[in-house]
Amino acid sequence: MTTQSIICTQGLNLYYGEMRALKDITMSVSDRKVTALIGPSGCGKSTLIRCFNRMNDLVDACRIEGSVDFHGKNIYGNGTDPVEIRRRIGMVFQKPNPFPKSIYENVAYGPRVHGITERARLDRIVEESLRKAALWDEVKERLSHSAMSLSGGQQQRLCIARTLAVEPEVILMDEPCSALDPIATAKIEALIGELKQQYCVIIVTHNMQQASRVSDHCGFMYLGEMVEFGETAQIFESPTEELTENYITGRFG
Amino acid sequence: MTDKFHEEMAEMQRRVLAMGLFAEGMLRDAVEALRRQDIALASDVKGRKRALSSQNDALEEEVYRMIALYQPVARDMRAVACALKVIASAERIGRYGKDIANVVIATTDARESDLATGLSIPHMAGLVLSMIDDSLRAYETGDLQYIRNHSERDDVVDALRHTIFREGITYMMEEPRTITRCMNYLMVARYLERCADHSCKIAEKVHYMVTGERIEIK
Repeated sequence: MTTQSIICTQGLNLYYGEMRALKDITMSVSDRKVTALIGPSGCGKSTLIRCFNRMNDLVDACRIEGSVDFHGKNIYGNGTDPVEIRRRIGMVFQKPNPFPKSIYENVAYGPRVHGITERARLDRIVEESLRKAALWDEVKERLSHSAMSLSGGQQQRLCIARTLAVEPEVILMDEPCSALDPIATAKIEALIGELKQQYCVIIVTHNMQQASRVSDHCGFMYLGEMVEFGETAQIFESPTEELTENYITGRFG
Repeated sequence: MTDKFHEEMAEMQRRVLAMGLFAEGMLRDAVEALRRQDIALASDVKGRKRALSSQNDALEEEVYRMIALYQPVARDMRAVACALKVIASAERIGRYGKDIANVVIATTDARESDLATGLSIPHMAGLVLSMIDDSLRAYETGDLQYIRNHSERDDVVDALRHTIFREGITYMMEEPRTITRCMNYLMVARYLERCADHSCKIAEKVHYMVTGERIEIK
């Protein structure tokens, strides 16, 4: 992979109690590219993506071995601040989860938490974030309306705008389209294409067509292992591993 | 991909193979008609062109339908892509068979000497037919052993075409009355050489289908 890597894992193992959910994952994620993780349910892709911004810290009995380097520094090392990590590595979830507040407040929430109070600056951040999330034109007349009044697809883009508002470098997306209809899905996919101009995007998806459409690199995981990781076009044209081939052609999973 | 896709794919591959064998049969019979100067057989070959085209059209449509409905990837995608290329080459081979049949029909006048045999066209045809046969076998079985030596075999066919051209020119200089006939046979040699190229094309696509790697057989 020629482009600069932003996140590297080295011998990453993760245990939920006795259960080893990730086995020796060593991979490197390129900046300003879209990396997709695919694999059958329970293969560890969500667990892996949650390692990238220490979301697994919140799970009891979860133990991690190995390292996850972000710009060459282990995020599980001493002295790293998980809150700062989660600002720089944002996350969008499967189900749109806007706060029960106005559209404006949803986006302004993060910057406020990080100490920005000046109204004009917040206005600017809200507009920029909504524009980047391709939502501005649809909501600019009703920023004070409740976020709950938006459609599912709009809510998901609002969640993306909320992530962008705190100026992250990496955006993790855990099945961002699985609760959306095909039109809303197409909008999110187009947005992912825009976002990679500025950010590193890592997406977990069950939809292999989606992985092949949006990603530059693709990893296939099975039973906690990274079976194959490479260029998306190569994976979907002629994968190296038999297991990958069998999965993406629907012979199992 | 679903079992339904794999069943339909297997059925399509059977039909692609059948079309390949049908085209090969047209070429084989055309060469036989040439060797025996058998006008009836040549006309029969000519009449099969319509069936060849309709097989091609139906299979092409089937390929597009499979892509539209299933969006295959990896080995499934390669199998569908390969089917499309194989039928295109098979159609060309069948059409060259028809062209050779036309030559037989057009050269009924002066049949006193068997120039075609003199020009080692039957020998060349035998090599070409065995190449086509092996390409189709490789397609049927996925066994690349059958196409291992296609490049060398194609070189032999190319060399034979050159030889036949030189021989033909000699005949024509010695006996100008044979010019029409010789010119037709030189065309036949050219058609056969193109058929060998198409068998190499099929071999390349089978190689891609099986391994995912694109090669060029020269």
